[in-house]
Amino acid sequence: MTASVLAPAEGDVAQNSAISVRSLWKVFGPKADTVAGSPAADLSRSELLATTGCVAAVRDVSFDVAPGEVFVVMGLSGSGKSTLVRCLTRLIEPTSGSVLLAGEDVLKASPARLRELRRTSFSMVFQHFGLLPHRKVIDNIAYSLEVNGVKRDARYRRANEVIELVGLDGYANHYPEQLSGGMQQRVGLARALAVDPQVMFLDEPFSALDPLIRRDMQAEVIRLHRDLGKTMVFITHDLSEAMKLGDRIAIMRDGAVVQMGTPEELVANPADDYVTDFIRDIPKSHVLTVRAIARPLRPEEDSTGPEIDVTTIIRAATPVIIGAGSPVKVMEAGALVGVVTSDDVLRLIGTDGGDSQ
Amino acid sequence: MSQAASEAGTASLLERAKGLLRRRGILIVLVLLAWIALGAVLKGVNTLALPTSENTPFTSVLREAAASIRGNRTESPAFVYFFNPIRAFVESFIELIRAVISLPSGDDIIPAVGWLGVVAIIGFVVFATSTWRTSLLAMGMLLLCGVLGMWTFTMDTLAMTLGAVVLSLAIGLPLGVWAGLSDRVLAFLRPGLDLAQILPTLVYLAPLALFFLIGTAAATIATMIYSIPIAIRITSHAIRSLNAGPIEAATSMGSTRWQLLTKVQLPMAKRTIALGVNQTMMAALSFVVIAALIGAPGLGKPVVEALIIRDVGDGVVAGLAVVFLAIMLDRATTAAVVRTGNFVHESGSARIRRRVGLGAAFTGAMVAVVLSRYELWAAVFPEQLIIGESVSSATSAAAEWITTNLYFLTTGFREVVTVGFLNPLESLLSNTPWYVTIIAISLIGALIGGRKAAAIALVLLGLIVLTGLWNDTMVTLAQVLIATVIVMLVGVVVGVLVGRSPRVERIMKPVLDAGQTLPAFVYLVPVLALFGPTRFAAIACGFFYAAPIVVRVVADGVRDVPSSMVEAATAAGSTKMQIITKVQLPASKRSLMLGANQGLIFVLAVVVIGGFVGAGGLGYLVIVGQSKPELQGKSLAAGLAILLLGVVLDRMAQAGAERRREQGSA
Ligand SMILES: Nc1ncnc2c1ncn2[C@@H]1O[C@H](COP(=O)(O)OP(=O)(O)OP(=O)(O)O)[C@@H](O)[C@H]1O
Ligand SMILES: [Mg+2]
Repeated sequence: MTASVLAPAEGDVAQNSAISVRSLWKVFGPKADTVAGSPAADLSRSELLATTGCVAAVRDVSFDVAPGEVFVVMGLSGSGKSTLVRCLTRLIEPTSGSVLLAGEDVLKASPARLRELRRTSFSMVFQHFGLLPHRKVIDNIAYSLEVNGVKRDARYRRANEVIELVGLDGYANHYPEQLSGGMQQRVGLARALAVDPQVMFLDEPFSALDPLIRRDMQAEVIRLHRDLGKTMVFITHDLSEAMKLGDRIAIMRDGAVVQMGTPEELVANPADDYVTDFIRDIPKSHVLTVRAIARPLRPEEDSTGPEIDVTTIIRAATPVIIGAGSPVKVMEAGALVGVVTSDDVLRLIGTDGGDSQ
Repeated sequence: MSQAASEAGTASLLERAKGLLRRRGILIVLVLLAWIALGAVLKGVNTLALPTSENTPFTSVLREAAASIRGNRTESPAFVYFFNPIRAFVESFIELIRAVISLPSGDDIIPAVGWLGVVAIIGFVVFATSTWRTSLLAMGMLLLCGVLGMWTFTMDTLAMTLGAVVLSLAIGLPLGVWAGLSDRVLAFLRPGLDLAQILPTLVYLAPLALFFLIGTAAATIATMIYSIPIAIRITSHAIRSLNAGPIEAATSMGSTRWQLLTKVQLPMAKRTIALGVNQTMMAALSFVVIAALIGAPGLGKPVVEALIIRDVGDGVVAGLAVVFLAIMLDRATTAAVVRTGNFVHESGSARIRRRVGLGAAFTGAMVAVVLSRYELWAAVFPEQLIIGESVSSATSAAAEWITTNLYFLTTGFREVVTVGFLNPLESLLSNTPWYVTIIAISLIGALIGGRKAAAIALVLLGLIVLTGLWNDTMVTLAQVLIATVIVMLVGVVVGVLVGRSPRVERIMKPVLDAGQTLPAFVYLVPVLALFGPTRFAAIACGFFYAAPIVVRVVADGVRDVPSSMVEAATAAGSTKMQIITKVQLPASKRSLMLGANQGLIFVLAVVVIGGFVGAGGLGYLVIVGQSKPELQGKSLAAGLAILLLGVVLDRMAQAGAERRREQGSA
């Protein structure tokens, strides 16, 4: 529905995207390749299963990810997130559509080329780590270099660099089962970083970790992203994680993208009830910028209040707004967008989480 | 709330199932009564009984075929280009190993390496693959074989076993890996693998001896055919049951298929594959011992000879050597399996210590090998150390004492079972007209396992009639059924005890482990001593062989009953006995069926061997054919009948188990 409005149109391939996905389908089941483009494609999930015995895990998904962007994919369990990300790297062969990585069509790559891409251009972090139990940490991290034929010395040097980067110094010669969950996932991260890929895919990398370690690891990803500027596709079903990490978020339901946009756009204009439901528990003041509550100056109001930038998150602006005696002026490139008072903030907070009780 | 509802649902289901069962039970009793009545009226009519020396049309055809095969050995292309080269290759491979450890070549009086060298080499290999403790145990076991005066026989068995294992693994591991990677390959191999699981060892002997002549080659190839399916099955299972996560991750990092296999799948599957090596080796050992019947050298030979002349003492001495060798091979490979799966960071000093230890052990082994080549005491096991004779006479005396003084126990028990149960059952099966028996069995099959089981029984039993060995098959079947009932009675009681109490489990575990590693053949010796050459000896042998596996399956089933069920019953005030009979046993019914199925197959495998000690039936015909060419056709037909009987029993038990499961989940 709204997906087609928000998603880029067919054919309009953004030349400078890191990832560009068009009309991607993945159908599991008998005669899977006949579903996309047929009338059956419009059926709902259960109707499709009943009439054809197929499950459309990914249906008609299109999006672009800019270089250096963190693109988050969210959705309930079974909505097709994992299938989508595995289609991008062809761990699962998509049924139809196209996937361009730095302009190259991944789906048309020969097996040899695909291996090369996997060895050098993109890498993946898995929810259940997927470490090789029979290899020491350092050999786990050096694995993709090893299969690419890098000499032992060189790959150990590189592996030791990444070990330091993720803070695992001193554990190089341990086996995975001797490490805690958080440390194992650091190995997973290090392994993905070892080849210095352009794009990283992370499939719920922190779901298996407890909340404290998860927060650590999120900070780690933010730091790595800031320092190394990797393009990331990050899957999660934790909304606060999505808000924290994502430049943009795509929300999936039953295989299709329901809405796509910045966290602020989603919170400000949820496309439908599903999205509303999804973002219900997020305090709006944590996500929205003051633009969302800026209003015109009323004639009776004082126009000498302090100025703040239009991109300031409401929560961050609150001390200024409360501290100021008069309405705070919201500025964009030197021009007045509107004003905000503590009443406006209170009104917004008052609607937050109202339906969660 | 919902749990209570589902419990109520389960309860009503159980009630329904019980009602069905009761009605089915009544029907089965009716069929049995009709069968018995008809049997009494038509006693001795159409029983198809056949004197041992007589052939039927079918066995005559087989005999002619066998004769023509024997005649063609030197000319027919199939032999010149296929069977004979294989035989020559296998034979020279085994002879090579024997030349090293057991068989003096040329003018030498000792093999290339004497006893001290062999003990040292094995000690070193076991140390290198597992621990020094296991290494000491292995060397001790070997020395015991020497002390029993069985050194050369032991070395022959070891050479045969190792040779057969190496060849089996060379074929079985790659095929197993392939079957693990490809569904199509597995589907292709599956029927063979399934059949191999129910085929009694004895069945392999006659046809292989026919094609490869009696001797080392035929024995080795028969052993391989017996053990290769085990290697394939476990290896393919090892590959298939791997955790998918690391494999997907390795794929996502750009591994080729080959890299994936060699760097990820095989290393991860190593432990299970090592377990497969252990199982393959134990199977090979047990087969090599039985293969003495077709001329395999080694410990089986003195066992067979002792059985023929009923010399209990000598039989026990040879049997003990088999036991020691089995323990050694099992412990050594099991310890290696444990070590294989240890992914633990070793500290530097531990590693150095181990390196030094290995170096020292290697040097020691080399010194021992050299000594054993140049010093007589290290080459030939010293006469003064051998106590086999005294063990033999002491055992004979002990057996004598038991049979005379505990007469009421051994003979008494034997007579109760034989007269009270075996004779009536055998008479019912074999003295009733064959068509009555077939119809009755098929009806019971229909009641237990449904229409399919009945159809299978009808067809396969009909085929048995066509082999001309119907009567002998029924004699064997009677023994199998009696032995299975005894095994199930004892197995359920002991299995419940083991499953309920960790302490009993600890006590029983070594017994069960040992029971599962011992070759079936060695049970014959003590059983023969206690019960004489009777049908009951075969039954007892089947019992001892099958009991460990049944106990284990039942115990697993009882242990897997959800503890919440037991707690609920305890809370409702059930007694211990009520919990066992009303909760734990019904809930583990599937395990009981599985246990019965396994029990039947194991019992059949051994009961036919009992033909060797006077139990008659099909096993006797198989064995007799090995020495009398005019009965070779009958021997082959008997093998076929055993196979058919095995399939009938297996299918009926499985159909019963399946049906029970369907009712449980309906
Ligand atoms: N190999 C497969 N064969 C058939 N159906 C599949 C297969 N893999 C996934 N599916 C189906 O595709 C749908 C999407 O699965 P997917 O694993 O992508 O969900 P997800 O969004 O990652 O869920 P979660 O949050 O639980 O990981 C599910 O309905 C699943 O049943
Ligand atoms: Mg998923």
